Amino acid sequence: MSFNNDKAISKDRLRFTKNKLSADLILLAIAANALYFVSIYSSDVGSYYYRLFIGGSIVYNLVFMLVAFLSSEGIKNYKLSYACTSVLLGIMQICRIFYLPMKAHKASNPVAEAKQSVVMASGQFTYVTVCLLVSAAMLICAGVIGVLKTTTLNGYLAELEKQGQEGTDDE
Amino acid sequence: MSDLKLQHLEKIYDNKVQAVYDFDLDVRDGELIVLVGPSGCGKSTTLRMVAGLEDISKGKLLIDGKDVTQMPPKDRDIAMVFQNYALYSHMTIYENMAFSLMLRKENKNEIHQKVLAAAEILDLTAQLNKKPAQLSGGQRQRVAMGRAIVRKPKVFLFDEPLSNLDAKLRSATRREILLLHKKLNATMLYVTHDQTEALTLADRIVCMSMGHVQQIGTPLELYDDPANLFVAGFIGLPPMNLFDVEIRDGQAVCDDFAVDLSDEERNRLAAYEGKTVTMGVRPENVEERGRITVDVSTNENLGLNTLVSGRIGSHKVTCKFRGWCNYKAGDAISVSFGRKHFFDKETTNAIRG
Repeated sequence: MSFNNDKAISKDRLRFTKNKLSADLILLAIAANALYFVSIYSSDVGSYYYRLFIGGSIVYNLVFMLVAFLSSEGIKNYKLSYACTSVLLGIMQICRIFYLPMKAHKASNPVAEAKQSVVMASGQFTYVTVCLLVSAAMLICAGVIGVLKTTTLNGYLAELEKQGQEGTDDE
Repeated sequence: MSDLKLQHLEKIYDNKVQAVYDFDLDVRDGELIVLVGPSGCGKSTTLRMVAGLEDISKGKLLIDGKDVTQMPPKDRDIAMVFQNYALYSHMTIYENMAFSLMLRKENKNEIHQKVLAAAEILDLTAQLNKKPAQLSGGQRQRVAMGRAIVRKPKVFLFDEPLSNLDAKLRSATRREILLLHKKLNATMLYVTHDQTEALTLADRIVCMSMGHVQQIGTPLELYDDPANLFVAGFIGLPPMNLFDVEIRDGQAVCDDFAVDLSDEERNRLAAYEGKTVTMGVRPENVEERGRITVDVSTNENLGLNTLVSGRIGSHKVTCKFRGWCNYKAGDAISVSFGRKHFFDKETTNAIRG
């Protein structure tokens, strides 16, 4: 097979290489999310919000990690649906900033022994917000890269198929 | 591609065991050299010395005139294909072939073109997205070759690459290696214990035994004019029939038969009058009519030929007759010997004119 330029070669390369960049970005996003929840659950937030939604938060984290991991595997093999899922997960990570961290930030700590402290100090708030933002950025980047690469590959494969059919017709 | 000079190479292990003695060979640019010999003869050790996987105890190794004796394997610009393929099972065929180039941090687009070109040569394009486990033995071996080709090395080394394949696949892959050599015109060093591979592939064969080079020559030279008893017995299938005979009055005489010598043979053996020498006759040089009686023990029809084994008195003999024969055990057939080879009894070297 001969190629006219580097762009054509890059397109053709997609046929034989996996989308490792997107897959790795998603795995890093999972790691950033892990840093977020380790910080959250090791602080007093747990005791302050020891109600139904802290349980929900734990369940969400588990579901998030599972879906993100599946997206990582799917996006590696140029599956468009998983690329879209990755973008969606990224948006959800941004939304999460306005949920637990924002509520807990500067809220008075109800625990008797920690009367003059807040549930989430500014330092921890900044840390968990950055974790969620980094995680979101990685997921969105992975998704966008996934969408671009997948559409490029699908277009290229369709082009090849068309060329193949034309070749067969000529014969 | 490049020429390769192995100058008086020797391999002595730390426990003082010497595996290779004075190996001296000039491999010309684009030549396919086959090292052949029985297990433990030092052929793989020699190859590993060339690859840099074994230290060279004595001698020099030159590639393109450059002394690489002390150079580490990665800097020698040599590619080796192993018997067990040595493929990465978790990588696709494409990734396996591209891996060495990726390690060199070559441009990804260039790597892609090299891999596609190699895959096309080896008819592997349709397999590039598969994992090694999904391929047959022959295809895996082709991948191993592809991995060597993409690097465009100065010298290709093959260490018994067909040993893991079944007979049919071996023969097909052998032909592919031959075609590959013709296409690439590459300098290749190929190790095998299979004389059929050696005879069919080689431009020149190096026959080895016990660490010593026994003979270097073209396949025809080794078959037609073996330098000594070892080469005579090793090259050729079935092996040459050997008889101890006394040279007496223009005849080669033993307890069970006597054969007349031609004028040329008499001249050649003039110095051996009254002495015992070893006479060799290839099974295909035993002719189906004559004065010598063979008591048949087995008859094996191979289609085009028939192998008949039996005894001439106390001597075992194998004959290869053309066509389909139906001898039975116990039959007596008359034969004569065509082309004969003679070897000195003491030195085991061929007696030449």
